[in-house]
Amino acid sequence: MTPAHKVKITYCAECGYEPQTLDLAKALMLEFGARLSCIELIPWEGGTFEVSVDGQLIHSMKRDGGFGDGAAIKDAVRSRLTG
Amino acid sequence: MTIDRARFDQGLTYEAFKAQMTRNRERLEENEKRVDLAKENVAAFRALPRPVKVVVLAEDWCGDVIANLPVLGRLAQESGKLDVRVFLRDQNDDIMQRYLNKGQFKSIPVFVFFDEDFRELGHWIERPASVTEIRAKRRKEIFAAHPEFGSPDAPVDALPEEVRVRLQGELAKMREDTTKFANAEVVRELREIATRVAA
Repeated sequence: MTPAHKVKITYCAECGYEPQTLDLAKALMLEFGARLSCIELIPWEGGTFEVSVDGQLIHSMKRDGGFGDGAAIKDAVRSRLTG
Repeated sequence: MTIDRARFDQGLTYEAFKAQMTRNRERLEENEKRVDLAKENVAAFRALPRPVKVVVLAEDWCGDVIANLPVLGRLAQESGKLDVRVFLRDQNDDIMQRYLNKGQFKSIPVFVFFDEDFRELGHWIERPASVTEIRAKRRKEIFAAHPEFGSPDAPVDALPEEVRVRLQGELAKMREDTTKFANAEVVRELREIATRVAA
């Protein structure tokens, strides 16, 4: 059975991060299709923009700065899928 | 670039800014109604020897704009001494670059006060430091009182949904409980800048 891989994107809804969140969600959908069991979008606050795969934080605006490089985030997701 | 009369006149009035909002207008107007201005503060603004012009940088998606711009709006309405013009941050980067928070961040709202000859009296960015401080302290207290919320620095996506929703509720209540203090601090800081205008 294929393991279920879940991506969560937590974004600051007060900061207007919806476009970046949707862009990233779309990029992951197109790249990984049904290999991801779920992409969960979590509206939050406080300038948050965090991406995790299967509970492992792979990008954090607070920790890493900015919205992250799309290619690097895809690589991190891919390594979880193949790891 | 410097602000002159021609540039100032390109800005939106407070009402025009509200009219073009595509979101959060209801929240902004609710906050506006709830601003409780002390009589002595209104009197201090009414007593300004000359009208003051205020350039605002704002966007309708920003929580600090929705919280703090109504305070300025009410002061303008009640004093009749503040001439406010709002510039959308993302369409006016030349102004934004002059008022970066800590020289780096495009934090909003920005309120820049000028006298009638467009000499700058001072500017104000985002929110009072005292508000950031008290909310950070209250946030820590919430996490200390609710071990189920985990660490204040941990990603919230690891929390079960129902715990996350409760945390969100606690944080919203904390913001609500500190709003009166926050508004009073905004008024105090804006009054300090506006009253620099010379007779």
